[in-house]
Amino acid sequence: MARMKFLCDADRCIECNACVTACKNENEVPWGINRRRVVTINDGKPGERSISMACMHCTDAPCAAVCPVDCFYTTVDKVVLHSKDLCIGCGYCFYACPFGAPQYPKVGNFGSRGKMDKCTFCAGGPEADLSPAEFQKYGSNRLAEGKLPLCAEMCSTKALLAGDGDIIAKIYKERVVKRGYGSGAWGWKTAYKETIAI
Amino acid sequence: MLIKRKSSDAARGKLQAALGGLSSGVMDRRSFLRRSGLVAGGAALAGTIQIGAVRKAEAAGMGPATGTKVVTNICTHCSVGCTVKAEVANGVWVGQEPAWDSPINRGTHCAKGASVRELVHGDRRIKYPMKLVDGAWTRISWEQAISEIGDKMMEIRQKSGADSAYLLGSAKFSNEGAYLFRKFAAFWGTNNVDHQARICHSTTVAGVANTWGYGAQTNSYNDIRNSKTILVMGSNAAEAHPVSMQHVLSGKEINRANVIVFDPRMTRTAAHATEYVRIRSGTDIAVIWGMMWHIFKNGWEDKDFIKSRVYGMEAVLREVEKYDPKTVEDITGVPEAQLKRAAETFAKVKPATFIWCMGVTQHTVGTANVRAICNLLLATGNVGSAGNGANIFRGHCNVQGATDMGLDVGNLPLYYGLVEGAWRHWARVWDVSYDALQARFDEVPAKGGRPARTRKANMETSGHTSTRWFDAATMPSEQVDQRDNLKAMIVFGHGGNTIPRIPDAVKGIEKLELLVVADPHPTNFVSLAQRKNGTYLLPIATQFECSGSRTCSNRSIQWGEKVVDPIFESANDYWVIYKLAEKLGFASDMFKNIRMVRGKFGMEPEPESVLREINRGGWSTGYTGQSPERIKLHMANQDKFDVVTLRGAKGSPVENDFYGLPWPCWGTPEMKHPGTHILYDTSLEPMNGGGAFRPRFGVEREETLPGGAKRTVTLLAEGSFPKGSEIRDGYPEFTFGMLKRLGWDKDLTPAEAATIAWIGGNAPDAVSWANDLSGGIQRVALAHGCIPFGNGKARAEAWNIPDPVPTHREPIYTPRPDLVAKWPARPDERTLRIPNLHTTFQKAAIEKGVAKAFPIILTSGRLVEYEGGGEETRSNKWLAELQQDMFVEINPADASARNIKDGQFVWVSGPENNSKARVKALVTERVGKGVAFMPFHFGGWLQGVDQRANYPKGTDPIVLGESVNTVTTYGYDPVTGMHEGKVTLVQIAAA
Amino acid sequence: MRLSQSIRSLFGVFGFVLALGLVAPASAQAPVNPTASSVREEQLLNALKPGSAAEIGGRISIPDQKASTLIRPAGREWREFHQGTMHLVGAVAVLGMLALLVIFYATRGRIAISTGRSNQTITRFGAFDRFVHWTTAGCFIVLALTGLNITFGKALLIPIFGEATFAAMTQLGKYAHNYLAFPFMIGLALMFLIWVKDNIPSKLDIDWFMQGGGLIGKGHPKAKRFNAGQKMVFWSVILGGAALSLSGWYLLFPYTAGGVLNLQFWNIVHGVVGMVLIGAMLAHAYIGSIGMEGAFDAMGSGEVDLNWAKEHHALWVEDEMKKGVMPAAARLQAAE
Repeated sequence: MARMKFLCDADRCIECNACVTACKNENEVPWGINRRRVVTINDGKPGERSISMACMHCTDAPCAAVCPVDCFYTTVDKVVLHSKDLCIGCGYCFYACPFGAPQYPKVGNFGSRGKMDKCTFCAGGPEADLSPAEFQKYGSNRLAEGKLPLCAEMCSTKALLAGDGDIIAKIYKERVVKRGYGSGAWGWKTAYKETIAI
Repeated sequence: MLIKRKSSDAARGKLQAALGGLSSGVMDRRSFLRRSGLVAGGAALAGTIQIGAVRKAEAAGMGPATGTKVVTNICTHCSVGCTVKAEVANGVWVGQEPAWDSPINRGTHCAKGASVRELVHGDRRIKYPMKLVDGAWTRISWEQAISEIGDKMMEIRQKSGADSAYLLGSAKFSNEGAYLFRKFAAFWGTNNVDHQARICHSTTVAGVANTWGYGAQTNSYNDIRNSKTILVMGSNAAEAHPVSMQHVLSGKEINRANVIVFDPRMTRTAAHATEYVRIRSGTDIAVIWGMMWHIFKNGWEDKDFIKSRVYGMEAVLREVEKYDPKTVEDITGVPEAQLKRAAETFAKVKPATFIWCMGVTQHTVGTANVRAICNLLLATGNVGSAGNGANIFRGHCNVQGATDMGLDVGNLPLYYGLVEGAWRHWARVWDVSYDALQARFDEVPAKGGRPARTRKANMETSGHTSTRWFDAATMPSEQVDQRDNLKAMIVFGHGGNTIPRIPDAVKGIEKLELLVVADPHPTNFVSLAQRKNGTYLLPIATQFECSGSRTCSNRSIQWGEKVVDPIFESANDYWVIYKLAEKLGFASDMFKNIRMVRGKFGMEPEPESVLREINRGGWSTGYTGQSPERIKLHMANQDKFDVVTLRGAKGSPVENDFYGLPWPCWGTPEMKHPGTHILYDTSLEPMNGGGAFRPRFGVEREETLPGGAKRTVTLLAEGSFPKGSEIRDGYPEFTFGMLKRLGWDKDLTPAEAATIAWIGGNAPDAVSWANDLSGGIQRVALAHGCIPFGNGKARAEAWNIPDPVPTHREPIYTPRPDLVAKWPARPDERTLRIPNLHTTFQKAAIEKGVAKAFPIILTSGRLVEYEGGGEETRSNKWLAELQQDMFVEINPADASARNIKDGQFVWVSGPENNSKARVKALVTERVGKGVAFMPFHFGGWLQGVDQRANYPKGTDPIVLGESVNTVTTYGYDPVTGMHEGKVTLVQIAAA
Repeated sequence: MRLSQSIRSLFGVFGFVLALGLVAPASAQAPVNPTASSVREEQLLNALKPGSAAEIGGRISIPDQKASTLIRPAGREWREFHQGTMHLVGAVAVLGMLALLVIFYATRGRIAISTGRSNQTITRFGAFDRFVHWTTAGCFIVLALTGLNITFGKALLIPIFGEATFAAMTQLGKYAHNYLAFPFMIGLALMFLIWVKDNIPSKLDIDWFMQGGGLIGKGHPKAKRFNAGQKMVFWSVILGGAALSLSGWYLLFPYTAGGVLNLQFWNIVHGVVGMVLIGAMLAHAYIGSIGMEGAFDAMGSGEVDLNWAKEHHALWVEDEMKKGVMPAAARLQAAE
């Protein structure tokens, strides 16, 4: 059974932000909502590395655990999705998320939160696959089309990998062995409680 | 808690349904591996992968992906040439898919490429033609616009001459658009035609062409996968050419290649280096000569290579001797040990390639910088084979093509110089009379102590560079070497904020009688100044809204298919150029042999037909074999090309071809030359993509030794020749006369011989490989294993240009005035129609104590999200969101000394014009102490004033900001007029 | 900003750990190999203080600086607290208090007016006092219920109502909670202003406590306008309410809180204080209604029986009498 994961190879990531705009392009994500972002650690120093981050689709996802209305669900591919029909925009998932994935459009009087939006692993939402309603609420459903998330598919240096966890772990492992260095599978320990042993 | 909602709904859950029976709809293995990124990792694993991770939908619903067709085009944002796969439904561009098959980008994009779809949604685009009427933008029709512009141009022509209209073209033209624009200038009668290459790699083209023949990247992005040492200088490829990093990092990983980055700034590229060397801006020659010093001292040079293929290395050696480690460390700041290590690595861990960009080229010594690097490559034998070479990363998507098409003040298309023979060649190709062309040019009266020029002389005099256009408008007419000052700017696809001295540019814009901006976006030409009348905005389509070919940095030519019709009232370049030519009265001659087809607004030139005309004339550069059919065949068979060698697979329709038929692709299309992946490569037969250095400057030279003795040395290769050559030594370029001497003239067909006779008239022996319209001379030379342009030596010493052997020269605004006595700027001179006062400015700066009052070195560069002047990308909401403020990078030490906090506004003030810019501080160790960096993509603010109101309503870019060029300063390369964009001095204070 | 910073350090959560300490910053000219010195995730995670909330962060170009946090393992701890400790606190506070009250009622019964009703009343709370009280109380009830709903509803109510209905309900609840927060805060402020002078702790309060407040045993310790028990209610409402208001304000306007770690902190404050206060208010409501004869009148009509007043607030009655306030005849009441 496939277990979908993301893996960002920081030794390849050059902060080109293709993943960010690919996501926006594919899912028509509005200004101010950043399903994916690139963070640069040790900016300008010799240890500098950039890492592309979005929802990691955690095992035992904290967002789902704390959601007061239980709007999250996990697909058979272990992609963590949610229903915008149920979401009340309380922000709890944002407090719980270790990766800052949940995003909220500013609505209403308080500059406060509308329905939560986050990376769907390009797998849409609870609506019928590839339906206009699904696209409008969650963006595209590439998984249903037999494709992988566009951010990873378009990554300029193939730093961002998406797909079955075992496969991408193998790819990463092979790379590290080949080149002799690797700064780790960022977020895996936190998201999946495992890491890639080299 | 974790409910599988989908699995509970059997009616629609195709994922689960698919799980039940995995047999159908399973994604094929190849595409899964690709999508998983495996192919990047290495194919070794392929055998062990279990498929079944992704299942295809059984029956796609009414989703957004149905009913679409996929159109292939090329990204319009940089020279890498990434293929874009556009999904179009009902005439609307609805989605973008990875272009897996392209050997160049292999599905990937950068932030810009992944968001190009937004360009044709374009709510910030110019929607219809407009003109300024007493300061107010007024909508007009295309007919009115063309008619009024044409009338005004004719009026200026009558009054001030053809040279008073400046034709500024674009690196975003297709090859066909660029060619038509150059041809338009020839028919209008001026050499004042230029484009962005002036400000990005003009010095590269000049430096490289003067060294070994052609002004282009010698190898390719893909070939870097073969390198064992990758030296990057003044290039931030991670931001400027992100997809190229795929190849660089692959080389780094697979070959465990050394990646050495020389830069004043710890860039995103440097972060992935194996060695980062911080240098002082503007000291590149001292760095290179410092490396050469170690190389020659230790005997690491490639002696055989130098002996057989290089002329003049002794002269270089004499200069290099001055650059001992102590001197070099004092000038550049690079410690001896580090530089020695870099030199040793570059010379010994081969193949080694040198990558450079605008950090090298945008200097008053730009051409000399390039020449120094070429010498390093020659000394170490690192040119002309796989994995080495000068990997010059060019800027815009078709800056290589536009340069090739002669969108330049000193060239006709395909690098035919402005000499009579070249004009006659193109007159023959265009099927017009040479005399008629000549009659279009101005006579220049004697002025400023300079003699008068005839029409013929003016036709053969290089034009005025785009870096100084406003000087030509505002300087006393005496100083400007043409009939009159500049009165009109016709600007196609070129930003107004891209060159230094914006306060002066503002005066220039205000002085113009006519300003025409033809662009998808208004550009800063419109926003910078307060004009009231005489200003026109023409909505132009992007390359996604028309078809045509473009040449990427590695000389591969790719065909882009129109994705959607031009939006709003936009028109494509072809039609607008045609309409202007028609209005000015030379369309019938200019488009004589070009097929016209029905377009959006009526008949327009067909790009395929234009390319065929280019093929008919492009002998000198091998632009003759790339017929539209062959290029389109490549686009349709992208998956058949090898990612490292770019060679077409055996048994495929593109067997043996290099991808995109990189020029030179000799002879006629029927000859099926595969193109040239790696220039000057003697390990291949010329007919199979091999070559040698081009003897452009004669066959021998008398030189004077330091002692005063004279000797004559050959400029032809000695003992080096391409594989399979029947002439087993150096030889000059092929002419009909040479064929006769070799007895090979018998191989010409009667038709070829007839064409040669027609061209040659009473001197047929002089007809050469470059002007033989039959292609016979090229064909015969190649058949005998010879390269048509000859087999010469590269020139370490280029005697015909300023500083034949490069020497370090302190920047005009130097932070080290103490070094100026020993390393001064060049004496004042005239460069291309205008004074170039290096010494005057440098002296004045020192006398005024500029280095004390402005203690911080300012350099500039790119951001990945934006491109060029930035109007187009700052109007793209997906990109604009990522960089919302203009900023200056400042070192924490300088910031704390000035009490400046990260994110706050500061004033950056420059040493000329009391210029100042209000920008946000980005406090970072990317820049060293005493160095600041500003990106050059911003505009729309001027010295703290928001000029949003100057844009026509609804066309203002989302993000505006201060342009770095408000504070950058005087300084121009003596060969090409390239501006000094990388070193000036500033002061920074909290705002 | 200052406050949030101090809270952060107070809470020990300020762990914005860049690898500053791990990788010595290179001096301008020292030879560096950026690949060899590249930062590793493992190092950074190890550098986070165990058990404390902390973040791995860096630089990002978009203005939303929250996004510059890359990994915040602290989310896990907040989740554990929120799903574990806070549920426990809530359950103990609410169910525990209810149980106590039931036991208390069973053993002590309703506390009667020992001298019986006098048929004379005295004005204890005027219209404005009562308006303020009921405004605040009304808001509190809705806030409490919606708060309990968002905490326990998933477990208790989804099985009953189903997800869609529950989500719709909870959405309404969220709006109610957000909007009623404002009248609640106003009421709280007014309450403080009008009653604070009578709620300053004094010596009498010690006696009151010594005597078990009259709840245990028979005697009635003397008290002024508010006895020590009532003062406790007052101060718990004021302090608890203030804590709820402040924390709620940050949660309502997340951009004023200055970071997710702060939001987590304020959410914890809000939840725990809310639960405890709900428990306290249950007791208050009990004793003010079914728990004690005559008590409800104080906030009902505002007129309390003179005997009740004398028993519970003897000193206050004396003061009132001295001021010349005369008891009035009680309105007709249904016989008990």
